[in-house]
Amino acid sequence: MSERTHHRKPATFKLDDPGVIVMDADETGRPSRGTVRVTPETDPALLPVPIEAPLVPAQRGFPWGAVFWSAVGGLVLLGLGLGITRLIEDLFARSEGLGFLGLALAFAAALALAIVVAREAFGLIRLATIEKLHARAAAVLVSDDRAESRGIVQDLLKLAHQNPHLARARATLQGHAGDIIDGADMIRLAERELMTPLDQEARRLVSSAAQRVSIVTAVSPRALVDVLFVFVASLRLIRQLARLYGGRPGALGMIRLMRHVIAHVAITGGMAASDSLIQQVLGHGLAAKLSQRLGEGVLNGLLTARLGLAAIDVTRPLPFTALPRPVLADLAKDLLRKREAEE
Amino acid sequence: MAPRFSEMIEEARLSARALKDYGDHFFNPTVRLGVTGLSRAGKTVFITALIHGLTRGGRFPVFEPFATGRIARARLAPQPDDAVPRFDYENHVRTLIEERRWPNSTVDISELRLVIDYQRQNGADRTLTLDIVDYPGEWLLDLPLLNKSYEQWSRESLALSRERPRAPLAAQWHAHLGTLSAEGHEDEQAALTAARLFTDYLRACRDERFAMSLLPPGRFLMPGNLAGSPALTFAPLDLPGEGVAPEGSLWAMMVRRYEAYKDVVVRPFFRDHFSRLDRQVVLVDALSAFNAGPEALHDLEAALAGILDCFRIGRSTFLSSLFRPRIDRILFAATKADHLHHSSHDRLEAVLRRTVAGAVTRAEDTGALIDVVALAAVRATREATVARGRDRLPSLLGTPAPGEIAGGEAFDGTTEVATFPGDLPADPEQLFAGEGAFRGLSSASAEKTDFRFLRFRPPQLESVNAEAPTLPHIRLDRALQFLIGDRLQ
Repeated sequence: MSERTHHRKPATFKLDDPGVIVMDADETGRPSRGTVRVTPETDPALLPVPIEAPLVPAQRGFPWGAVFWSAVGGLVLLGLGLGITRLIEDLFARSEGLGFLGLALAFAAALALAIVVAREAFGLIRLATIEKLHARAAAVLVSDDRAESRGIVQDLLKLAHQNPHLARARATLQGHAGDIIDGADMIRLAERELMTPLDQEARRLVSSAAQRVSIVTAVSPRALVDVLFVFVASLRLIRQLARLYGGRPGALGMIRLMRHVIAHVAITGGMAASDSLIQQVLGHGLAAKLSQRLGEGVLNGLLTARLGLAAIDVTRPLPFTALPRPVLADLAKDLLRKREAEE
Repeated sequence: MAPRFSEMIEEARLSARALKDYGDHFFNPTVRLGVTGLSRAGKTVFITALIHGLTRGGRFPVFEPFATGRIARARLAPQPDDAVPRFDYENHVRTLIEERRWPNSTVDISELRLVIDYQRQNGADRTLTLDIVDYPGEWLLDLPLLNKSYEQWSRESLALSRERPRAPLAAQWHAHLGTLSAEGHEDEQAALTAARLFTDYLRACRDERFAMSLLPPGRFLMPGNLAGSPALTFAPLDLPGEGVAPEGSLWAMMVRRYEAYKDVVVRPFFRDHFSRLDRQVVLVDALSAFNAGPEALHDLEAALAGILDCFRIGRSTFLSSLFRPRIDRILFAATKADHLHHSSHDRLEAVLRRTVAGAVTRAEDTGALIDVVALAAVRATREATVARGRDRLPSLLGTPAPGEIAGGEAFDGTTEVATFPGDLPADPEQLFAGEGAFRGLSSASAEKTDFRFLRFRPPQLESVNAEAPTLPHIRLDRALQFLIGDRLQ
């Protein structure tokens, strides 16, 4: 039988046999020929397993804040409604034509409001789906749950359906759906297939935004313009990244994303400042030594890049495991190369 | 009309029982976890390790409530059912840790209550009662008998016993069967001899060399206090295709006793224990089937399919938990995963998944969850690489149990060995390719087999005198997370 050729026969070796040598894993050297070497392996069960669990549980009390804001919002809406009804009544009292015009405008406004609200709600739901997917994928990477990983991949495929550039990647991934693949490996496979092109595009977006910020702040006349421009550019970057990874944030969604991104920067920022940022500024920051304005530009660009990386972490539906997480150093290199080329 | 009426009474009793349980559980949340498996699958060790880990604090990184520290403590509570023996946890732990022997096998049902104090994720203090019910998997194989007449069962058992490799084992019984006439006068001595020979044949099938699984009726091998009673003194007969049993014939006597077996043994078990379970673990010892050969693997598959047919599975709803409790999670666990290098665990899981594939599809339709895992409740080996010539064999280090034989040598229970058990194929279908798919002990001599899984002694724990020596395990935490993790949210 040809398929049996690779099958190796069972074998048993007594450890106290003179022909058997027990070696440590780091021990080298070639024992004499004909002996059997036994190397004990590190016990995988004793290796530490990373568990990402918040030490302090999230507050899950009754959302009084939300109740307050909803109630106030409702009251304001009621007041507005009342005002508009009165206005239309007054218009009708003056002339019928004006009355109908007012009524039509009010309906148009109501319709538009309804659609805007629906869109916002849809965007928020979509963001929540992505966040949940991220958390579920992280859990599967630890638990290696096969059925759950299949569910995640199905949801990912649904999410990726709106991006026509991923058609081939989706087909490949669907082809693997029936194979026997472990839960964690399935997630890694999905990441490699679906996220690779998106990650490249995200990196390009972040690095171009950072470049734009660094140029504008280097030439802008006032600090206020700098601040405004950085703010607008960051908002735009976050929205682009969210759209790239499948979210469709509206205004509320942007506020929520912004909060998450800033929280993420706050958590990871200290670390970044200690290693990459300082190193970048001091090491590669030759430009900074030449001119103060130029230095400020580079620094602002790096900050934007930092924000962009945090936004990638927040908007990406899968955690980084199989693919490398883009780091500031790569982007900073792009940035400095560009600056130096422009000099 | 009579059988229909008795069925209705049976259903009514089940519902009454369920209603009472529901009342009890309302104030005191309880999970009844059934642990079963064919004999030597490792039920006792599984429960012992589970309780030991929960009460003494084992390493359970994947069992979320435990790993994140939300479980304050788990303690043993007095056993609730007065008519069921208590699971002898303390003795089993002693055997396992101090004597380094595997505990004796399950011959009867037993139960133990574990109370878990935990904090919910929102901060509320709660208590979950976990009733662990241990029963032999052979009893499960009896449950399909409830829907079979004697004639049907007799025909099936006889057909099965004429297949390879059972036929040679059943030769003696078949010879005696030839002397009996189904329509002849009833004869106690003939019935006794037939039952004895039939039991001998079942016992021979269970031997390590053949490792057959599908051997109903289960009580023949584990008679307990019913040994010798008429309910256990029957055997299949060579019956004519049609007709009913004549009055006073041997056939009629067998039919009566078969029905008695169902009434005395099978129905009470179903009503009092089986129908009340919420969660179920089925432990499967696939490795001994690999040792024995393809026939044993086929038999295991048939036995598992039989077991699965008995479960009332489906998502629990409010009404179902009131009147007709269902099992909403079943875990199939290939035990003794420590007898394989971890790189082969996925392949072992794939084999088991292939075996229970039918059940998984069916369960998905009903909304119940089914999972398959390769685990070792107590890990008896360490892993090692053996370099022999240019070969690198992923092997295991451990102390084989006394009396185990490999390479023509018997072990005394103190020598440590490194063993390579053979490569499992990447595609499980290869193993199910029928007769001759691989060579086992049932068809080849010990040196020529494709797989050899030695039985190892329990591990030497490093700190026996320290306060809490934890038992090493493989994926017991994942099993726990699947079985009760959701009830500890």
